[in-house]
Amino acid sequence: MRWLRWLVGTRQIDRDIAEEIQQHVEEKIAELVSRGMSTEEASYEAERVFGNVALIEERSREVWGWPLLDSLWSDGVYSVRQLRRSPGFALTVVATLAAGIAASIAMFAVIDRVLLRPLPYNNSSQLIEIKESGNKGVSAFGAPYMDLREWYERSHTLKNIAFHTYDKPTSFLEGVTGPVQINTPKVSANLFATLGVPPALGRVFTSESSDNVSPADARTAVLSDAVWRDGFGADGNILGRAIRINGNSYTVIGVMPRGFQFPFNTEKPQIWIPIQLGDSDKRRAKNETPEYRIIARLSNEASIQAANAELKTIQVDVAKQYTDAHARENVTSVELRAYSDSIVEGGVKKALLLLLAAAGVLWLIACINVTSLLLARAAARQREIAVRAALGASHWRIARQLVVEALVISCAAGALGVGLAYISLRLFHNELTSSLNFAVTVTLNIRLTCCLLGLSLLSAVASSAWPAIVAARAAIDPALRQGSVPGSSKSQHRVRRFLVVTQVAMSLTLLVACGLLLRTIFAMKHIPLGFQTDHVIVADMVIPSYKFAGRNMTAELYQPLAERVDKMPGVEAAALTTAVPLGRRFPILFEFAADERDPESVRLEDLVAQFRAVGPGLQKVLGFRMLAGRFFDEGDTAGSAPVVVVNRAFARDYFADHRDLSKVVGEELVSYGDEKMAHIIGVLDDERQASVLEQSKPEIQVCIPQITPKAGFYQVTEGLAMNLLVRTPRDPGSFIPELRETMRSASAELAGSTFTTLDQVVDNSLGDQRTAARLLQVFSGAALLLSLTGLYGLLVYFVAQRTRELGVRLALGAQRGQIVWLVVRQAGEILFAGSVIGLALSYFATRMLASLLYGVKPYDGITLTVACGLLVGAGLAAAYLPARRAAGLSPIEVLRAE
Amino acid sequence: MSPSEQRDLFPGALEIMILQSLRRQPMHGYALGQHIKQRSDELVLVEEGSLYPALQRLLKKKLVSADWETSSTGRRVRTYRITRSGARHLEDEVSSLNRMLKGIALVLAPAKT
Repeated sequence: MRWLRWLVGTRQIDRDIAEEIQQHVEEKIAELVSRGMSTEEASYEAERVFGNVALIEERSREVWGWPLLDSLWSDGVYSVRQLRRSPGFALTVVATLAAGIAASIAMFAVIDRVLLRPLPYNNSSQLIEIKESGNKGVSAFGAPYMDLREWYERSHTLKNIAFHTYDKPTSFLEGVTGPVQINTPKVSANLFATLGVPPALGRVFTSESSDNVSPADARTAVLSDAVWRDGFGADGNILGRAIRINGNSYTVIGVMPRGFQFPFNTEKPQIWIPIQLGDSDKRRAKNETPEYRIIARLSNEASIQAANAELKTIQVDVAKQYTDAHARENVTSVELRAYSDSIVEGGVKKALLLLLAAAGVLWLIACINVTSLLLARAAARQREIAVRAALGASHWRIARQLVVEALVISCAAGALGVGLAYISLRLFHNELTSSLNFAVTVTLNIRLTCCLLGLSLLSAVASSAWPAIVAARAAIDPALRQGSVPGSSKSQHRVRRFLVVTQVAMSLTLLVACGLLLRTIFAMKHIPLGFQTDHVIVADMVIPSYKFAGRNMTAELYQPLAERVDKMPGVEAAALTTAVPLGRRFPILFEFAADERDPESVRLEDLVAQFRAVGPGLQKVLGFRMLAGRFFDEGDTAGSAPVVVVNRAFARDYFADHRDLSKVVGEELVSYGDEKMAHIIGVLDDERQASVLEQSKPEIQVCIPQITPKAGFYQVTEGLAMNLLVRTPRDPGSFIPELRETMRSASAELAGSTFTTLDQVVDNSLGDQRTAARLLQVFSGAALLLSLTGLYGLLVYFVAQRTRELGVRLALGAQRGQIVWLVVRQAGEILFAGSVIGLALSYFATRMLASLLYGVKPYDGITLTVACGLLVGAGLAAAYLPARRAAGLSPIEVLRAE
Repeated sequence: MSPSEQRDLFPGALEIMILQSLRRQPMHGYALGQHIKQRSDELVLVEEGSLYPALQRLLKKKLVSADWETSSTGRRVRTYRITRSGARHLEDEVSSLNRMLKGIALVLAPAKT
């Protein structure tokens, strides 16, 4: 009810109190007058005897309300009024604090999404991922069925083991309005039970036997909520309906609840279909037996360490069952990790936490800035505060007023900060998505709201504590005395200097961190890639391969497309490739089958080669060098002799005899189907394949026109993503729409391809470092700006405080230069102290950065010098204006004003 | 003497004096102040204003009631009356006050003799 007060105005109770107090005083006056006092004396005496009218009225009113809340409210209203009276000040503090809050909130939103967000599974901390490991390191997938079956039967620490796989990154759901891109994981029957999530509608796959596959459900599918809603309008009668995926028909048996996705980090809507085991699953045959990804649930009492120990023991027996000695060496052990850890790489996690720390530093700098501004404001308001104290406001009340004012400021800043955070996450969307692999959005959940409120509250307390204490302790009399200049004491000036020094030190730390990362990016960008990245458009194509089932995709789709694009105006060269260098694609790995009796072939078993199918135009597009022989050309067709190209790393590893590269050309390498063997026709120079930091790995390339359904590689490449690379001097903005049209005319689905430039792909591949560098640029730039404002404010204040002294000095013959020097010296001292502390801070801070750095040491002289120089230069520039103002003072005017 | 020292003797003392005064007859604020001053031989120096928060506390607890009336001098005044629960409260308070005073007197007695 009390809340309504400000809506309905003063209450009856308040009016009664005011009226009866007034009556009281009047009655007293009347009585005193009747005793012979003059009216003036009487009214003075009446008020003296009565006490502080306003205070008593307030105490009387307080009885009826929540006094604290009420007076907090009035403090709030007063603060808003005060702030509106000085919009410049209000704007500065709100914007300053908003910048700090925005940075922290944005980083927290990212971390919340990436690290804190609970997985949409029941008790997800029990879920673990298991992979076999051995000589070649950890398996890329997990383990073959026979092995996981053995774990399942013998383990006591695992409650359940589910497995899953998928053979195509993109599938097509044939919808009413055309094909929709989806993701179709194949899962074991117990997957949903292992995750502990029941369907929202219908049922999930069931298994009669203990092998956890469901042959009876072979042609069934479970839809995700997203597919159900977007593809079928949340149709309640979806169960039992037939849908077509990649040209095959499936019956819908269930729909999973909203928010459920598995595997977790996929962007496309999902439909799950059951895994079916083949004959090869019953053996452990190299290059034949499929490997599955594994997700298991720990028993209630088991720890991940216990499971690790147990599985490692079991695995010793499992490995013994491998008849192939070489294969056995690759499965000697197992690696376990929490499923949540498998989603975000360690490096990303570390980078994010570092960035959060940087955002926190920025926030601290912003708070200090606001503290400094509030101190200056409190000094300017000394008289007002003294009047309040003289009228009976307690220390606590005065301090509270200032804290409430800061609270009003920080609430406004919090609101603005969320907006800024939202905008900045939109701006950094591309970076974040490419380094995290999934999109980050600000969704106001409980954690984020708590963080925001906490941060706003903390900002208010942190920035106003000092000013509040100073104001509350200030002596009343000197401030009230007529003619006294409201000004701060010397100690307060020292406090503000100290604050600015702290800001400068923290900014320098951020600048150094940013500088180091920029040097890293610079170093990474100057690593020779082995190909040219300029003027190349990359189209990431979505190939509707199901449409070409039983037909020759190479002849009917790829070849005509390449020819059309080649003929487009402004195209210098165009080529198809299954992998863009430095692009984020699943690598296709090529391994050699071994003959146990031949030691040479056993050696080759360890050779893992990257496999790429490329068009003959690729050399013209990318401009890489051949070390020997030639690249594919128009003469290499389906009808000509099959040929392959290898890179230097491959030649080195494959031919143990360190032969001359020209002798590599002409060697027979692999079978190409139809008993034909493919010859090596050329050796590529090394190039960066997956990361600018990784040396070239062995690689084999085959020529797309030669890949016919008869060739062994056709099956492999059929379901693959395909990229079109086009070299053109034209502007991507005008060229891409034309290219899209050309591709649409080849096949309608190709219009849905995504386009970018090779420069962008390379830029994206810098990943963590680039994201960190970009964000740190913003953070340290903002930090620098804030500390410069702090410094500038302090100097302006310094000059204003000493105007009289400076005037006297000038009048007594001081040179303008000396006055300038006086101000600049102030700035210089602060900058020097700040730099020294900042350098010490960065010594520790940059050590945490070390793992992100490349080609530069954490304590890099150049970076430190440049950062210091930038800071000092900018600081002195900020000092220029106040210094000029001081030097421009006219002594006559200053002294006359006294 | 600062207001806070003068305002009250001990917590609730002012309220008891107000209730006791009102039991004799209903009064408005000013009269109440004068009454307490006279009855205490001006020993209890109460800042006149401090009556009002105390009156509001009593009103809120429904120990007194208040009505706007016109006084004998033609002044519009707010007259306070003690309620039934106010009277009961007063009795309780007075008896516990008496017990306490007795106790204090006993403690102080030997020192006097």
